[in-house]
Amino acid sequence: MADDEFRQQALKHLDALYNLAVYLTRNGSEAEDLVQETYARALRFSHRFQPGTYMRAWMFQILRNTFLTFFRLREREPAISEAGVPDSDAPMFHHAPVEDGESAGAHMDLERALALVPEEFRTPLLLAEVEGLSLDEVARIMDCPVGTVKSRIFRAKERMRGLLKDYGGPDRA
Amino acid sequence: MTTDINDHGGEADEIARLLRGRLARHQAPARLRVSVVETLSPPEGRRRPSLWLPPALSALATAMVMLLWLVPALPRSGGDPLQLLSRAVMTEHARAVLWGEARPDAVAGALPRVMDETGVLLNWVFTGDQDLQLVNAQPTFLEGRRALALTYQDRDGHSVSYIIARGPNVAIPERGRVQIAKWRPLVTKDNGFTLIVWKQSGLVCVMVSDLVSDDDLGRFKGYFVKVRSATELSRSY
Repeated sequence: MADDEFRQQALKHLDALYNLAVYLTRNGSEAEDLVQETYARALRFSHRFQPGTYMRAWMFQILRNTFLTFFRLREREPAISEAGVPDSDAPMFHHAPVEDGESAGAHMDLERALALVPEEFRTPLLLAEVEGLSLDEVARIMDCPVGTVKSRIFRAKERMRGLLKDYGGPDRA
Repeated sequence: MTTDINDHGGEADEIARLLRGRLARHQAPARLRVSVVETLSPPEGRRRPSLWLPPALSALATAMVMLLWLVPALPRSGGDPLQLLSRAVMTEHARAVLWGEARPDAVAGALPRVMDETGVLLNWVFTGDQDLQLVNAQPTFLEGRRALALTYQDRDGHSVSYIIARGPNVAIPERGRVQIAKWRPLVTKDNGFTLIVWKQSGLVCVMVSDLVSDDDLGRFKGYFVKVRSATELSRSY
């Protein structure tokens, strides 16, 4: 693939990558650094990208690997309380859409519940259900069999369901 | 064969619907888009191979062989952007130590002007505690980049410069990075100075001090943690 075409294709996925990065790092500034590092690596390894394959999944794979390499140690940072939930009651991120108070509360519960799901379950859930990737693509990104992905997504949903009940039930969310 | 997501059970879909419909979707900020475009932009002069390239490479290889004989005699001047920036930071630090005024009372008043001139926004900044005190803030210019220089002084009179430069294309190598609290900055020693280098919000940040012994390095790392955890910054355009 020509360099220019590669760049144009890669840029199309910026918003999706940033969205996942925010939910992985739980910090807008670190999400920006993660995405920038992802693009730097993608460019460095662009010769390994096979034209005709799905670039979106390839970029997500780089982002996750970068996260695991550089950012995962920060998961236990003191800004997060022992329960793994940010101490503040304010929404975690700055770019959430403007909404009424009830709806904002629902987002807060969903985000809190999601933050409590371990990364290896949260990432496939987000990739499959939010980004709409197929299980095969998620399996490639996660470097595990499709059966494992199914199981992780199922367990992530079970965990989310339990947590949302704790926060007042899925109906409230 | 592509496996369908709905293969794994119908009852899951309450959560799936919630996630798709209610979970906030975060759009990449404009500054990130600009940084990524810069990252993806080809450096000037890196173009596709031309017909003249093989003979040119051959000539270059011959020149390189000859140059190898001369290298030991050449002065060492790094072409690495990070190394050049580090040298410039040390010069700036030396200037601050020799000529900078300690004006803790005037820093707060000077910061808006300094941020405006440098294009570096400090949403939060560490202004000091019983160990370390912010004493000066200056705009500066390092290796063609606008930068903001903060000077701190500790209880023993050591100066610590914290310099934030606009330079998204400076890569920080993995080798030499050290875990300090929850961060992994690059820690180097050069010419009697210790430098701690990291990237934050697309900006290159360097702390430099003459705290080089093992004990002093521990203290310097402590200063890094104070400054890094209490400073939140971004770029303005």
